[in-house]
Amino acid sequence: MTALSAFAAALTAPDRRPPPEFAGRAERRFAVYRNNVMVGLIRALETRFPVLVSLLGEEFFRAMAREFTRAHPPSSPVLMSFGDELPDFIGGFEPAEEMPYLADVARIEIARTRAYHAADVPRLGTDAYSELTPSNFEAMLIDLHPAVAVIHSHHPIWTILAMASGWQPAAAIEDWQPQAVLVNRPDLDVLVRPLTTGAALFLEALGAGRPLGIAATEVAQDVPDFDLPAALATLIGDGLATRIHVFGGDLP
Amino acid sequence: MTTKNTLAAATFAGSLAAALGMVAAASASPVAPQPNMDKCYGVSMAGQNDCAAGAGTTCAGTSKVNYDAKAWKYVAKGTCETIKTPKGMGHLKAM
Repeated sequence: MTALSAFAAALTAPDRRPPPEFAGRAERRFAVYRNNVMVGLIRALETRFPVLVSLLGEEFFRAMAREFTRAHPPSSPVLMSFGDELPDFIGGFEPAEEMPYLADVARIEIARTRAYHAADVPRLGTDAYSELTPSNFEAMLIDLHPAVAVIHSHHPIWTILAMASGWQPAAAIEDWQPQAVLVNRPDLDVLVRPLTTGAALFLEALGAGRPLGIAATEVAQDVPDFDLPAALATLIGDGLATRIHVFGGDLP
Repeated sequence: MTTKNTLAAATFAGSLAAALGMVAAASASPVAPQPNMDKCYGVSMAGQNDCAAGAGTTCAGTSKVNYDAKAWKYVAKGTCETIKTPKGMGHLKAM
């Protein structure tokens, strides 16, 4: 290990021991440096997870972020991916166990960052769908835009997100139902909006490579009130697709 | 591949036509303009790593070197306390 890599490793080491070269008088100075690295990383997490900060409060969030950073220091100098493991970390974080919805809220915030930085692939407009011939829906594959993500939860995450973001007043959630959201970046701004369970499963199936007709059939079997026209209207109207093709090639 | 219980192509085509109708109806109404933002790749957190040193000081946050990692445990002061749920989640009490 070089002196530089030993120095770097000591900065985020859980046992907080300075490298031997910094023993003695330099130890306190090293501690200041290490603390500033930690504070900087916590600030980066605050920037990426503003809804969690709102839900937990600054003090709780910062303390949790500190524990997280010790367990999962950044693996890349590019900070936009730092915190990708936070949802799973929260799921096992004992002080937050009273709020089991936090991990899914964190997943929405991760999807937002990814959507923001996703490639600007051209989206299919309405014309691409009105030209489809009704013969081969069961072989038709849809490529979703890289900015598109679906997150669904056992908890009412849309309502929680909207209340924590100030989009609707915070209040008692009487009807504790599973909810799903769509993350997308139609132009330059990332948008989050609620999805029905059926639409969420349908879009996820398309994203996983299930053909259009098969995905529709499967979701209709699982979700009794699945509204296929509404789900297709979301797919088409929100411009979620970049390409329609069949097994082995483009449409003729 | 088996094709048990699949939607008839005509049913799917009907849904697609209905969806196109819904999209056309939605786009006929005016869309609220989105605020413009400059898009900047890979640097959205630039500055977060910097030491916020003022004149003649050491760095911001230095006083937290001896932060007590456990004292915060019962002090979630965010909106989770105001979002009350029938299951009692979100109420963080001092124990």
